[in-house]
Amino acid sequence: MVSDVNFGWSSTIVKVILGATKTNGGTRRLSYQIGGGTTLPFLEGTPDFSGPLIAFEICDDPQNWSSIVRNYCQDIVNDCGEWAHAADSVYGADMIRLYLTSTRQRNFSDIASVGKTVESVLSKTSLPLIIEGSNESTIDSEVFLKCGEAGEGERLLLGTAEAGRYRSIAAAAMAYNHSVIAQSPIDVNLAKQLNILLKEIGVARDHIVIDPYTGSLGYGFEYSYSAMERIRFAALKGDADLAMPVICSAIDSLTVKEVRDAEPAIQDDIAVQWEFTTGLAAAAAGAEIICVRHPRTIPLLRKAFTNLKSEKTDMGGQ
Amino acid sequence: MALKALDIYKLLPRKNCKECGDPTCLTFAMKLAGGKTDVDLCPYLDDAAKAVLGATTRPPIRLVKLGIGERSFAVGEEFVLYRHEKTFYHPPGILFKISDTQTTEDIQAITTRVRDESFTRVGVDLRFNGIAIENTSGTPDTFARAVETVEKIADLPLVLMARDPAALSAALMHCGTYRPLIHAATPENYKEFCALAKNHSCPLVIKANNIDTLAQLAKDCTANGMQDLILDLLPESLQAFIVRSTTIRQLAITRAAPDLGYPVFLDASVMEMPDAAIALGIVKYASVIISYPLSPATARAALTLRQNIYTDPQKPIQMNPGLYRVGDPKKDAPVLMTVNFSLTFFTLQGYLESTRVPCFMLIVDTEGLSVLTAVAAGKLSEMLVKDSIKKFAVEDEVSHRKLIIPGYASPLSGRIEEATGWKVLVGPRDAAEISDFLNEEWKQ
Ligand code: B12
Ligand code: SF4
Repeated sequence: MVSDVNFGWSSTIVKVILGATKTNGGTRRLSYQIGGGTTLPFLEGTPDFSGPLIAFEICDDPQNWSSIVRNYCQDIVNDCGEWAHAADSVYGADMIRLYLTSTRQRNFSDIASVGKTVESVLSKTSLPLIIEGSNESTIDSEVFLKCGEAGEGERLLLGTAEAGRYRSIAAAAMAYNHSVIAQSPIDVNLAKQLNILLKEIGVARDHIVIDPYTGSLGYGFEYSYSAMERIRFAALKGDADLAMPVICSAIDSLTVKEVRDAEPAIQDDIAVQWEFTTGLAAAAAGAEIICVRHPRTIPLLRKAFTNLKSEKTDMGGQ
Repeated sequence: MALKALDIYKLLPRKNCKECGDPTCLTFAMKLAGGKTDVDLCPYLDDAAKAVLGATTRPPIRLVKLGIGERSFAVGEEFVLYRHEKTFYHPPGILFKISDTQTTEDIQAITTRVRDESFTRVGVDLRFNGIAIENTSGTPDTFARAVETVEKIADLPLVLMARDPAALSAALMHCGTYRPLIHAATPENYKEFCALAKNHSCPLVIKANNIDTLAQLAKDCTANGMQDLILDLLPESLQAFIVRSTTIRQLAITRAAPDLGYPVFLDASVMEMPDAAIALGIVKYASVIISYPLSPATARAALTLRQNIYTDPQKPIQMNPGLYRVGDPKKDAPVLMTVNFSLTFFTLQGYLESTRVPCFMLIVDTEGLSVLTAVAAGKLSEMLVKDSIKKFAVEDEVSHRKLIIPGYASPLSGRIEEATGWKVLVGPRDAAEISDFLNEEWKQ
């Protein structure tokens, strides 16, 4: 048969568990396992892998959130519990990614509110959660500990660790058994270095998700696409420090010129196509969590991912 | 699998006539052995020799040309599985599909759209590539009429999609000399299809939903004198497409299966999710993509993705450094400094044009890095700015000494002032706010 193809892979992507159900000490109705792949994305059905997860991004202070999303979601954006609930029951996301944008105001100090916000979101949805904490190193420690504590037992995914700022988040994750997003700027070596730093302070490999940073479509996406492919390639070839699943979040997608300056009648469609195209291509490169901000992107990605996991495909032979 | 130069030499006509561009048949044979030239350059090779040589000496994926003239395009001649290993060379053609049962007006409108529509990004005009016409009517005359309608409007590459050789013959009367792509030969009909394609020197799509069948079919077609083949994998799902297309690319580039060394065809219009099929076709090795006319949103996203994926990873699209004018700037016009990454240049230029304030853009050489990336990488420095002011004689062009720099370059402002002696004004971070800035800060 000519159709036998051998890439010479020797390793497997590490499995990471997101969310804990009652039996595992949490309150989520679902728990996902990502990773486990042994070849390029979608080349064969991996057991227990149900396709990439779609995470819907929300925040607790939406003043700087895209007006396209605010117009679409309406008042609900002012209550992140309700917003999370809608993402779960109306928009159909697999996960919720909560950005604690309130902590990014100047001189933020109301740490207690962080815990309350996380708790309210946990109570309004039973989907697994990703929590994005502060981005100011002076308050990182308190913010992340508060998030970790509020979500104790829930196997959250906490973000975002970077080369210069990873200790606080790692400490919170280890204290409460959560996983960590490790972000580096579009470079396979920097991704590896950061994973090594995390490993050295004790974060387990199966508690790390790599964020190679996604430049949005037309604004650096080609670099991110290749970074994801390189990470997957290195992992399958045996580099244990890169063998973690990848998350993709093209946060600039709704602000790029093509979307921002689009004719009003089709602006929404362009926003959705920008997210959809980026997310789908990233999944083909190896991303296993695709984050989106426009609710209409979710059913499109869902349908495509379903079509990508049909039963084992006939390659040739017979 | 590769043949040695001497084996190849034995198959050549040995006329040493130099028409291939090489001094002797032997040097031509040596180049063929290294994959550095194309068998077709020797006009005296017989078909049998070409069939043998074709598969082993040409690039791992054959270059196939569609159409003639300005809008013609070539696909294939790819060498890698990952774009970061080198680059992808020939972006897939995306062609809009029409049916011969559509009204003449519809057919004209779609053809006109493909002829005229272009979406400009970073100074490049992105376009759809041609028209695929399907013989849904089943009638040769109707098919021929549809092809004629398209032909009258534009010289675009075509794909002729029909099962009936009679329909194809009728259509080829109108466009046979313009290298349309014929779709598609099967194990049952390939002899007739090859004959038609050969008669008109057209490339031919062969189709099968099984890779082994496809390889055999390719072999049969080359034995019938066909070389410009394209493979339709008839995927029943998006996953089937990725699996077969990746398998074929890998087998072809490693030369494990030379019979599969042809570009891949994808008819997204028959897939359950055409938009998704197009995006996956672009990233996963499709070379000719057929689709129903796309909505403006999908069209722009697809063209942008294609541009991204087919950009050489080693070379960002760059501008020549220099002093550029927006409008007709006078001696008192503002000077705005930025980097030579095309995306940055065109983004800023677009916003500057809409402000209607004539000005100069000083483009410095950051080797194609964006502002933020150049600052992070240390590629944007006060010395670079100083040298650029001198090199491009900016001091002769304006009577003032004020330089507007990007907001993201603000950490360099003091050092630039010191090195150049110019007063530095830190502009906004986002070029979209440049209009307000020029009206408030510059004009006061
Ligand atoms: C694609 C990309 C890359 C590509 C390079 C692309 C390129 N040709 O530049 C690659 C992968 C190579 C890369 C590499 C690196 N990158 Co990078 N990269 C990006 C990314 C995703 C997009 C950049 C881009 O294309 N922007 C679009 C252009 C149009 O933006 P721009 O040039 O800034 O122009 C805008 C404004 O500045 C303004 N403007 C421009 N000119 C002017 C002029 C005036 C007068 C005014 C008023 C305004 C103005 O208008 C434009 C539109 O608003 C950004 C993230 C981001 N969102 O920006 C990270 C980013 C810039 N990279 C980053 C880093 C750290 C790096 C590296 C140093 C990492 C490393 N590997 O060591 C390297 C450095 C490069 C090197 N050593 O070779 C960081 C920078 C962090 C910081 N704040 O300093 C970023 C922000 C990512 C992150 N969050 O970590 N990168
Ligand atoms: S054109 Fe053919 S016959 Fe003439 S020198 Fe070249 S290889 Fe020999």
